[in-house]
Amino acid sequence: MLRDLQKVRNIGISAHIDSGKTTLTERILFYTDRIHKINEVRGKEGSGAYMDSMELEKERGITIASAATHCEWDQNAVNIIDTPGHVDFTVEVERSLRVLDGVILVLCSVSGVQSQSITVDQQMKRYEVPCIAFVNKCDRSGANPERVKDQLREKLGHNAVLLQIPIGLEEKHEGMVDLVSMKAYFFEGDSGQEVVEKDIPPEVMDDAQAAREIMLDEVSLFSDELTEAVLEETEITEEMIMEAVRTGTISRQLTPVFLGSAYKNKGVQPLLDAVIQYLPSPLDIENEALDLDKEEESVILESDFDKPTVALAFKLEDGQYGQLTYIRVYQGCINKGDTLINTRDGKKIKAGRLIRMHSSEMEDVEAIPAGHIGAMFGVDCASGDTFVNPGINYTMMPMHVMEPVISLSLSPADNKSQINMSKALNRFTKEDPTFKTYVDKETGETIIQGMGELHLEVYVERMKREYQAQVSTGQPIVAYRETITQKAVFNYTHKKQTGGAGQFGRVAGFIEPCDEEFEFVNKITGGRIPTQYIPACEQGFSNSMDKGPKLEFPVTGIKVTIDDGAFHAVDSSEMAFKSAARGAFLEAYAKAKPVIKEPIMKVVIETPNEFQGACMGLINQRRGIIQGSQEEGVMSVIESFVPLSEMFGFSTVLRSGTQGKAQYTMEFNSYKQVPQSVADEIMKKKLEEKNQSK
Amino acid sequence: MLKKDLILRNPAVQILGKDSLFQGRFGAVLSRAGVGKTRFLVQIALVKLLEDEQVLHVSLSDQMEKINVRYNEGFSDLVDSIGYVDPAKASEAWDDISHNKVAISYNESTFDSSKIRDYLNSFTGTDLEIPKALVVDGLNFDTDITNTLTELEEIAQEFNLFIWFSMQIHREEAFCDDGFPIQLENHKDRFDKAILLLPVENKIQATILKDGDKTSQEFLLDPSSVMPV
Repeated sequence: MLRDLQKVRNIGISAHIDSGKTTLTERILFYTDRIHKINEVRGKEGSGAYMDSMELEKERGITIASAATHCEWDQNAVNIIDTPGHVDFTVEVERSLRVLDGVILVLCSVSGVQSQSITVDQQMKRYEVPCIAFVNKCDRSGANPERVKDQLREKLGHNAVLLQIPIGLEEKHEGMVDLVSMKAYFFEGDSGQEVVEKDIPPEVMDDAQAAREIMLDEVSLFSDELTEAVLEETEITEEMIMEAVRTGTISRQLTPVFLGSAYKNKGVQPLLDAVIQYLPSPLDIENEALDLDKEEESVILESDFDKPTVALAFKLEDGQYGQLTYIRVYQGCINKGDTLINTRDGKKIKAGRLIRMHSSEMEDVEAIPAGHIGAMFGVDCASGDTFVNPGINYTMMPMHVMEPVISLSLSPADNKSQINMSKALNRFTKEDPTFKTYVDKETGETIIQGMGELHLEVYVERMKREYQAQVSTGQPIVAYRETITQKAVFNYTHKKQTGGAGQFGRVAGFIEPCDEEFEFVNKITGGRIPTQYIPACEQGFSNSMDKGPKLEFPVTGIKVTIDDGAFHAVDSSEMAFKSAARGAFLEAYAKAKPVIKEPIMKVVIETPNEFQGACMGLINQRRGIIQGSQEEGVMSVIESFVPLSEMFGFSTVLRSGTQGKAQYTMEFNSYKQVPQSVADEIMKKKLEEKNQSK
Repeated sequence: MLKKDLILRNPAVQILGKDSLFQGRFGAVLSRAGVGKTRFLVQIALVKLLEDEQVLHVSLSDQMEKINVRYNEGFSDLVDSIGYVDPAKASEAWDDISHNKVAISYNESTFDSSKIRDYLNSFTGTDLEIPKALVVDGLNFDTDITNTLTELEEIAQEFNLFIWFSMQIHREEAFCDDGFPIQLENHKDRFDKAILLLPVENKIQATILKDGDKTSQEFLLDPSSVMPV
């Protein structure tokens, strides 16, 4: 692997679903000679894109798992991660961004900044990842890169600046003018592989000059030398501009905007040049770890091969040779045969086979040095684990992982399927932190939980295809929560005398609503409850929250304060205080006006204008709250908040209501109290279920 | 309690009175570009929102995000006018009322009142409340919009809602004999309320052009917040 880190780029390609990320990646691989034939995402021969290696991805034409690949451009090594666009798989984006140094934010020139672009942007902000924007699909009817640049400014707050302007749009899209070199670029050959540089056509010269003025105005803020040259009207060199753009981009104060049409093979090579010129190398980015031996003191990691190794496992995959662990090395170097320590559990591992991934294919390598992304075989670990050399005890910052909002019950067809299902679930939960599973104690059913219908659907399908587990699924179940709405006091004594040692414990205090999941405050004074029993009290309360007394949904948002109690020198025990806490919780909970909360999803519909009213009607019929609607050309975007329980089967309804012309995205927003009429329905249903199980 | 205080502080309530604000069918806020028509319209809409009623804000000039920002700012201006308000209570009140507003941004060139009718019809068969007030911002009164206004009047009648419009006037145009700008003069019979905003030194002067016996009353407003000075 390349050891000159100035010539290494770890980048991601992120965007809203169907913006053409995978198509762009495919072109990049073609132009960098990694593949010799372009396969389309929804290719006629059904081959699917090269990067969509999963059978399901090829069939559905969507990216489900982030695929990592490597290519070389102009003697630079580029590690690329193509991430899913669908919000259900957002954790894939999250963990990719965690390890990337820069991102190409792909935007559709017709649809502009869409809901998932906003989500990805928030994720980029969280991990402070610099980006360049690529306005794709300039050959489409309604293409308007200037408007997309404005949306980047208005909707995402980016200081977006066009570094190119198009030569023709829609079906007349021919190429682009590079505002730095003031040259026109056209793409010839069967697959656009020949980049032809020409003088700027006279019909776009005025626009190019005006756009360059604007660009220089913005970019000069990042270079004194350039500002001076602009003010004194001396020669402005390309290097001056490029240096200023690079400084602005790396500091996340500037987003250079490029354009083209990946599908029509236009604009990809200049974009690759931009990746090298403007996105940071690992040396430009500061990465931090926490030193667990020094009370989690922050440590800056250096891309120095000779320093102790620090690497992060950011993704797991079940390969044919065992578990494949994707890693990013931040410091030091992992060599074949090295001993590493997993800081989560302190276990030693040996780095066996090291590889560099290229979608589903792999290349063996001897070492993965700092600044590079690679993978290890045969290491048992979980996603997010940190590996270090013996002698240091660092951990990388954890990733932001959202709680699942939807669940589904699974029933295996036979014993063999049951075994295979267990294997599959074990694998999937390790791979994906937003996918969870448990066995319902009452029904004995296996329940899977995830971020949306599609998320769970894909795992059920993978179970069938990859593990031959024939399973049937129940109706999707919404992850309701219970909470309280007012303060309530408790004073509960647990007393039992059934022969032998008795049980005694009294706890008094109050519960009240809070923003945290659970908070416990100990205000006991004078040893009314001995210190050794306080953890038992906390555990008693905390355990009570697993299943709410109202409807057996998990309870959240409760602060428990204990301020009084009593114990018995012989009969008090941890068990007795746990039971007392449980009793106290039940006593207070009923008085604290408990309510049910449901997950509310942010639903964004994009529809032709003529169906705007119909789509709003669909939202209104689903207890949805329309936040607003925006006409953008011939399309309207409707933003709304809708309870998840009302969204099942929505895609079918939307399709039939709009002649299949509208699409929607949905992501978790918040938990909100359900209206009384709905709460009554839920209660009735729960009661019926209970009676049936009896 | 806070909501009631905020209603009392509202500039539109202080000028026209709470009961009068939505009496009739049409109201207009007139001014030259950039004086504060939209900001004042937002304050009018906030009265309905603070009464826990629904408002539909249709804009032919602002994007949806901008409309939402304007409401947020309008609410903050109102809160600030009280002096100190517990931020948690203010935020709670905002969360409570903000979902009662729907912002729709239409292209001016393709705007058609049937789109509003479609939206209002979408409430049919649901338990949801139909908006009680409609704000139409950006309609060009310099062109012939007689048909649009007639249709909107029918909508107001059918759905029992009051419509407030912004009406842009121009510096170079003289007022008509009855003191109305030409944009209002052309449709004056349709409008029950009209307020003219004019910049006067470093203030905004709000003059009631139409509202029964309140006509010709004048008020001074702060240009940054449209709150009464």
